[in-house]
Amino acid sequence: MDFTITEDQATLTQGVRDYLAGVHTPELLRALDASDSRRSDAVWQGLTEMGLPGLLVPEAQDGLGLSLLDAVLIAAELGRAGVAEPLADTALVAAPLLAKAGGQDALLAAIAAGKAKVALQHPVNPWVADLDGASHILSVKDEALLLADHGGTAELLDSVDPLRRLYAPVAPTGTEVGSADTLLDHAALIASAQLVGIADAMLEQATDYAKNRSQFGQPIGSFQAIKHHLATAVVKIEFAKPVIQRAAVALQKNAASASVHVSHAKIAAADAAWAMSETAIQTHGAMGYTYEVDLHFWMKRAWALSSAWGDRAFHLARIDAAVIGGALPIGPGHSFA
Amino acid sequence: MDLVYTPEQQDFRAEVRAWMEANVPKEPLVTLEREDGYHQHVEWERKLASGNWGMVTWPEAYGGRGLDLIQWLIFEEEYYRAGAPLRVNQNGIFLLGPTVMEFGTDEQKARFLTPMAKGEVIWAQAWSEPNAGSDMAAITSKAIRDGDHYVITGQKTWSSRASFADWGFGLFRTDPESKRHKGLSFILFDLNAPGVTRRPIRQLHGDPGFAELFFDEVRVPVENRIAGEGEGWNVAMATAGFERGLMLRSPARFQAAAERLVKLFRQHEAKTAPAAREQVMQAWMDAQAYAYNTYAVASKIMAGGHIGAEASLNKIFWSELDRAAHRTAMQLLGASAELRHLDGGALNMWLEGYIFSLSGPIYAGSNEIQRNIIAERLLGLPR
Repeated sequence: MDFTITEDQATLTQGVRDYLAGVHTPELLRALDASDSRRSDAVWQGLTEMGLPGLLVPEAQDGLGLSLLDAVLIAAELGRAGVAEPLADTALVAAPLLAKAGGQDALLAAIAAGKAKVALQHPVNPWVADLDGASHILSVKDEALLLADHGGTAELLDSVDPLRRLYAPVAPTGTEVGSADTLLDHAALIASAQLVGIADAMLEQATDYAKNRSQFGQPIGSFQAIKHHLATAVVKIEFAKPVIQRAAVALQKNAASASVHVSHAKIAAADAAWAMSETAIQTHGAMGYTYEVDLHFWMKRAWALSSAWGDRAFHLARIDAAVIGGALPIGPGHSFA
Repeated sequence: MDLVYTPEQQDFRAEVRAWMEANVPKEPLVTLEREDGYHQHVEWERKLASGNWGMVTWPEAYGGRGLDLIQWLIFEEEYYRAGAPLRVNQNGIFLLGPTVMEFGTDEQKARFLTPMAKGEVIWAQAWSEPNAGSDMAAITSKAIRDGDHYVITGQKTWSSRASFADWGFGLFRTDPESKRHKGLSFILFDLNAPGVTRRPIRQLHGDPGFAELFFDEVRVPVENRIAGEGEGWNVAMATAGFERGLMLRSPARFQAAAERLVKLFRQHEAKTAPAAREQVMQAWMDAQAYAYNTYAVASKIMAGGHIGAEASLNKIFWSELDRAAHRTAMQLLGASAELRHLDGGALNMWLEGYIFSLSGPIYAGSNEIQRNIIAERLLGLPR
C-alpha cells in the first residue's frame, strides 16, 4: 500500500508544466481564438517533439508505455495550460484503449509519431470533438466500440469555448476494438484530470489578481471575504485529486469497481472546477465578466468538460446503483474495494 | 502508487479484527461526557492496553507496537468496523503523545507516554482562555518560575475531558512581560494538584464534556515543561498540526458514518426528499475522498515528507463532511429526529452525532482560522 506518485512521475509532470508554461501562453490562446481553424500545426509539432502523443503507446510502438496514473497527471497539465489540440483524446484516451485491444500496432506507432489523430464519438455526448482533422474515429454501436479511418469534413457546431471544435456525430462504423463503457470510463477519467488542472489555473489567476488589485488602499486579497472564498475552492480542488488518482489505478487494473470510482472522480473534479470558476470570476469583479482577461478560456473549458463524458446526473446514477444499490462494499476497510 | 495491501498488512488486519470481535463491548457504553460513562471508557482503554493496542504507532518501549501509519489506518478501520467505543484518551494519544515523542526528553517519554498507552492516565487539553479562543496568542495564564517549580495562576476554558481526567496540558505565559507568541511554555499539570478547580460546563447535549479550569498558585515541577522555556508556541503549533493533520479524525470514522447513513436511507427511501438521495451519495463520496487523501498523507510522511499548512485543508474537509452527513440523517429521520431515544429505547445516535458534529468546525482551530491559514500560507495572500 503506497499512495504516492514516484519521483519520475513528478519530474515528468513538472517538465510538461514548464514546457507548456513557456510555449502555450494566454497570448497563444488569443491568437488561436483569432484564427479560423483554432488549431496550430506548430503547437502540435511541439507537443510531438516533447513525446507527448506517445506517452501511453507501448514501447514496442516507439511510445513510453506509461500508465493511466501518468496520464491523469499529464492531463491535468494540459488543462492547466488550456491546451485545445486533441492531444488528450488521442494520446491519453484512444492510445491506451487501442493498446489494450491489440492488433493496432501501426496506428499506435502513428499516434506516437504525432501522425494520427483519433476522434472519440460516444452516445453520451451530442457532439464529436475535433472530428475535422482526425485520421481515425472511435465510435459506438450497440455497446461495441468501433475503429474506422476518417477523412473529409463534418458539420461544425458552435461551442461557448472558443477553442473547442465540435462536430455533429456521424454514422458509427468500423472494426470492433472494445466496449462503449471502456471508452466512456477512459474519457471521463481524462476529462476529470483536465478539470482539476483547469481549476488550478483559475485559482492561480484569481490569487494573482487578488494580490495585485487594490481597493480601500490595500490588496483585495488581504480581505477575509476573498481569502475564504479562495480557501473553500482550494479544499474542493485538493480533495478531488486523490479521487482521480485512485480511479486511474482502478481503471488501469480493470477493477470491477473502476466505473464507480471514475464517476466519483468526474463529480469531484467537475464540482471543484465549476465552483472555482465562479469564485474566480467573483474575485476578478467586473474584469472577470470581460473577454479581456484570460480567465474566460478556462472557465468555459470547465463548463464544457464538466458535462462532457457523462454529466452529473449520469455519474450520480452509476454511484447510486453501486452504493445505494449495494453492489459495492462500503464502510471502514473498504477504501480500496 | 500501489493501492493493494501486502500479505503482512492483511494479516495485521485479521489480527485486529479477531481481537476486536472478541473484546468490543456488546452493549454501547454510556457517553464519555458523563461520569459513569467516563469510567466505562477508561476501563475500555485499559482493556485495549491489555491487548497492547493502546497506540500501535508508538515504540514498544513506550507501550506501542512500533507500527507504521498505514498499519495505524488499518487498525482504525477495524476499530470502527467493530463499532468500538470512542477513545477517552484521545487528547493524550493523538495530540500530546506525538508532541512528547517529538519534543520530550527520554525521561519525559518514559514518564508520560507509557501510562498514556496503558490507559492509566487520562489527559485533558487546556488551550483556550476566556479571552484567547481563535486568538490563542492572547493567552494570559501565567506560570512564574519559583526555584524548581512554576507557579500557575489563571484560567482555561473549553477544556475537553477536564471534568473527569487526571492530567492536562496547555500553554502558559512563563515570561510575564512577554507579548503574543513569545514567552509561552508548554506545560503538563496534574488536574488533582492543590489550587486546581474544575467547573464542568454542560455542552449542547446536556452533559459536561468539557470544563473551565481555575489555577490558584498551582505548583508544577519544572520537569513538566516540554521543550525550552518560551518555546511553547512552536510546540503547540506542532500539536495543532497533528490534530488537524492526520490523527485526530481517522477516515474510518466517517466511512462508518456514511455506511450507516446509506442503510438509514434504504429504510426511509419511500418518504425522502428528492435531494436526500444525492446528499447520501455525497456523504459516501466525501468519506472516501478523505480516506484516499489520508492514505496519501500517511504515505508521504512514511516516505520522509511532512504535513504543513495542508493540515488546514483536512480539518475543513472532515468537519464539514461530518456535519453534512449527520444533517442528512436528521432530515431522513424526519419528525423522529428530535427524539433522544428511538424505537426500543436506544439512544438516538444520529442526534447525538449531529450535535457533536456542530463542534467540528469550531474546535482545533475554527474553520475560519483554517481558511485564513490556507489563504496566507498556501496561496500567499497578504495578512
